[in-house]
Amino acid sequence: MQLKIDNKEIYAREGETILEAAARTGISIPTMCHRDGIEHYSSCMVCMVREKKTGSFIPSCSALVREGMEIDASGAEVISIRKRAVELLLSEHRAECEAPCRVVCPAGYNIPKMNRFLASGKISEAIELALSEIITPEIKCITCPGYCENACRRKKVDIPISIRNIQLFVSRNIKSDNSSDNTEVRNDLNKLFSSRIGRLDDSELREWLKECTDPGARFSDINDFQSAGSEAQSCMHCDCRASNDCALREIAQEFSIKDPVGKLIYAPIAKKINQKTGLIFENAKCIKCGLCVRVCEDSKDEPALCFMHRGFISIISEPLIEEFNNILATQAEKCIEICPTGALSRFK
Amino acid sequence: MHFRKLSRQEVNIDSKGCDCKTGTDPDIASIVKEVVEATGREKDKVIQILQEVQKKLNYLPSEALKEICRVTEITPGQISGVSTFYNQFRHLPVGKHTIKICAGTACHVKGSQLISEAFKRDLKIDEYTSTSPDDLFSIEEVACLGCCTLAPVVQIDGKTYGHVKPTQAQEIISDFLLTHKEEIHLNDDNKGNDFDAEVRIGLGSCCVAGGSKEILGRLFELREEYDLNIKLKAVGCVGVCNQTPLLEIITKTNAHSRYTNVRKEQVEDILLKHIKPKSLNKKLKYRINDLADTFIFDGKLNSPVNIPIESREKFLNNFLSRQVRIATYNSGILSPVSLDEYLLLDGFEALRKCVHLYDPESIIEMILKSGLRGRGGAGFPTGEKWKIFSGDSGAPKYVVCNGDEGDPGAFMDRMLLESFPFRIIEGMLIAGFSTGATEGIFYIRAEYPLAVSRVNNALKLCYEKGIIGDKVFNSGFSFNIRVFEGAGAFVCGEETALIASLEGKRGTPHLRPPYPAEVGFMGKPTLVNNVETLSLVPWIINNGAEAFSTIGTEKSKGTKVFALAGKIAKGGLIEVPMGITIKDIVEKIGNGVGEGRTFKAVQIGGPSGGCIPASMSDTAIDYEELTRMGAMMGSGGLVVLDDTDCMVDVTKYFLTFTHKQSCGKCTFCRVGTKHMLEIITRLSEGKADPKEIDVLEKLCNEVKSGSLCGLGKTAPNPVITGLKYFREEFEAHAKGYCPAKKCRDLIRYEINDNCTGCTKCFQECPVNAIAFKPYEKHIIDQSLCTKCDNCRVVCPDNAVEIVNIRDAAKD
Repeated sequence: MQLKIDNKEIYAREGETILEAAARTGISIPTMCHRDGIEHYSSCMVCMVREKKTGSFIPSCSALVREGMEIDASGAEVISIRKRAVELLLSEHRAECEAPCRVVCPAGYNIPKMNRFLASGKISEAIELALSEIITPEIKCITCPGYCENACRRKKVDIPISIRNIQLFVSRNIKSDNSSDNTEVRNDLNKLFSSRIGRLDDSELREWLKECTDPGARFSDINDFQSAGSEAQSCMHCDCRASNDCALREIAQEFSIKDPVGKLIYAPIAKKINQKTGLIFENAKCIKCGLCVRVCEDSKDEPALCFMHRGFISIISEPLIEEFNNILATQAEKCIEICPTGALSRFK
Repeated sequence: MHFRKLSRQEVNIDSKGCDCKTGTDPDIASIVKEVVEATGREKDKVIQILQEVQKKLNYLPSEALKEICRVTEITPGQISGVSTFYNQFRHLPVGKHTIKICAGTACHVKGSQLISEAFKRDLKIDEYTSTSPDDLFSIEEVACLGCCTLAPVVQIDGKTYGHVKPTQAQEIISDFLLTHKEEIHLNDDNKGNDFDAEVRIGLGSCCVAGGSKEILGRLFELREEYDLNIKLKAVGCVGVCNQTPLLEIITKTNAHSRYTNVRKEQVEDILLKHIKPKSLNKKLKYRINDLADTFIFDGKLNSPVNIPIESREKFLNNFLSRQVRIATYNSGILSPVSLDEYLLLDGFEALRKCVHLYDPESIIEMILKSGLRGRGGAGFPTGEKWKIFSGDSGAPKYVVCNGDEGDPGAFMDRMLLESFPFRIIEGMLIAGFSTGATEGIFYIRAEYPLAVSRVNNALKLCYEKGIIGDKVFNSGFSFNIRVFEGAGAFVCGEETALIASLEGKRGTPHLRPPYPAEVGFMGKPTLVNNVETLSLVPWIINNGAEAFSTIGTEKSKGTKVFALAGKIAKGGLIEVPMGITIKDIVEKIGNGVGEGRTFKAVQIGGPSGGCIPASMSDTAIDYEELTRMGAMMGSGGLVVLDDTDCMVDVTKYFLTFTHKQSCGKCTFCRVGTKHMLEIITRLSEGKADPKEIDVLEKLCNEVKSGSLCGLGKTAPNPVITGLKYFREEFEAHAKGYCPAKKCRDLIRYEINDNCTGCTKCFQECPVNAIAFKPYEKHIIDQSLCTKCDNCRVVCPDNAVEIVNIRDAAKD
């Protein structure tokens, strides 16, 4: 069967979706709620295309090809409606892509990730991370006034994590011959799209930019990986675990969208943690695409995630009659893997 | 509705008023077992199982859900998803009696919100709970009870109260507690055949709400008392819902006399005027009673029998004469429960012809030629749908009758199902025969219990007569029909969502194609037709396609049933030819808006439709014309608005509805409607920036083109038409001014110099915002006032007025 996508003549098979036909010819259409091999659902509407004859917009992930169809997959109108879909999704996405410490770090070190490695005793991974980040001959923390520690959320509770000390300690463990001649500047976080929960308070911002004068009780004595690990345990993991692997962030970046002001509030920000499998679920990051529901089989022996309620207040949740600890005993990895955002992640 | 008037002091609401037994802890496991044995263990039975279990337990405790999962194939995820998706299911216990406050369009414009607040206040229910502290009453706001002509309506358990005022909350509760156990037996035992007269009384939901059951009870009593040889017959809806109860007496000489708004105490007079008791002493008894009454009650002079027939029936004739009856053919004559009568009046004749004389293709051809289009809203040609469907070779093939009428302000389908169940069954059978289907399913929303029981009864009778089942009318055609009760989700009116719901899933729609005609219920070809569409089919077969296509306009043929309600003098259920103008409906059939008010607009098509201003009321009603105006035929709700209605308020009302009813699947509908509602809400509070109106307009267009199904695609229509025809009202709100004085945050109540100091407002004020000052002008303490409207309602001197806060500030 013959059709046109962006004025390109395409032959497609009966029963194929527009998305599939387009992909075969190298026309890429963004999508978030669709994965090959899983029954389509058409929820995110980011894959919108326009049928030229009728002028109507259709989700290409579930719309089937028809003889003589003319599809507009990249026109201004199409891009505008896709952008709007992403903006709407972001408007209920109450989450932060990056932790404050990393945002303010002049070198852009992935501090929360380092803390997670150390806290769980993954020493070689920690060293590797340091190695990849420390591009210049020596670590920046030596001369840095410690913005990260000012920004650390732990400071609001008690005292900030001794970030600089941890980083310095890890950097000392890098064998000097390992340092590559990487002169490329780090990926500038400020240019990346970043979602925020609320508007950044002026006073908070000022705090971040101040030089650290209060070294805190934890500042000294990190001399071995054990003490580094126990210090790192206090990290509150303010970042999103999917910050490098988030379809929503990528697409927002691609469309140069700004994080919307005035987010809609419904889904709770709280994290649900499954103590048995380490599965973490954050409703406020969920785009309700239902991939996790569709990919896992729900059974009496192993209950899975499900949709609950209807409309704007619909959420993904454990079943009413089950505890979060008892779900997805064997399938947790599968749904973390498929989640397009950081709503489902693993405690590492 | 009439109930005993009680003074405020006399009313004392507590559990002493009700001596119903409190249920003991039932054995959940055995209840679940019993239900599952009756319904089956399959996954698709989940809705029926939940409905039955809830009926027995009053709510769905988690133990019951666990037990259901244990003994059936239903999984925890499925049961959680389904039981939280549909409105009908409750996970918390409710009070012994449920007060349903209708929040339909007609009720909304007549102040249902104030009613709801009044009930909550009087029952001491705060904003976080829905059950009174003594667990006696629970309050539930329902989308529409379908008694729009009696708006505002409150239903307590099965008992309906119409035209409720906020000040009556306590009286109604007391009345209910006093009377809810009075049972009226409706035994339909008309023995013999040589009656002196036939007495007909409407028993549609509106009539029952108007008190026709009490009237019927009284008729039974009187027949006994005076030993009258009369046939008492309950008929379906006559459509004159504003005049209920309606009583019709046909004497042996075939003289028809109709009485409207009949009250229980008038029945005796009316009946005995036309029918004379046989025995002498019975006659005497009546005479004496009558005489005594004349002395005692002045009311006797106002008895309807003393009103000349012309003025009594004038309105009725005006109302009925402009209508064309096809779907409602023989209305007021047919009994909805008697198959024999339907057969006597040429019922199932069309089906008989079809199965014996016509071949399926010629029937489809006839429907095509008639120009019949789907009455569910979008107006797809029915014949074409049948043709596509009949071409499918898959088996089994299903026909589904879509009776999930969820539009607030529409009750056509309910009335048709209640009053003409046999006709719809006939239509379904014809659809099945001509398209090669073998099974039919009625999807009827659970809020229509009477419709469900009437259809079930009709199906039973048809099975007994061999009209449904194997070999219909001894032909080679076999067809089975069953009823599925919806569980309360507006989105299930969309056909793909409806099918998902039938399969026991959450009612989320999917993209078409594939159309249900190809892949439908259980993956099999399924034909989904609206109730009204099917009810028109037998007439077309009997009278020919030409007869049907001569009625109506070029592209919209035949008639359309509308539920006429809102600020209209005479509302009701009407069937009019396509092409009639809005003006004719409002002014001629509905007799215009209330006295002293001006006709502002008509809201057509419910939440998917729009408001058409009075200045454009010459518009002829047909599919294309309405779409061109930005509205939509929808299922046929027609709510009339007058100058006291605020367009921002009406728009906010519809958006609140669609936003709540959105299934939540696609981004535009789920999040977009929420954003629209936020802007409208800010407008109604006077907090929006004028620029936001443009943002709103842009968002409307995006939601319209970006949503997946009909619900989302049409949800912005009320806003779009509102902005198109009444933009200045939206702009006024952005400046903090509500021209119709409706938006609560922009108005306040004040007492003017008309006040005589009668203290009535003081007595009714629930928050003591008015001080007791006999013979002096009263003053409302604005810091305490909750704007409940009570004082304005009770004031005999029109001294309480609503003013815009901005105007008040200027003074």
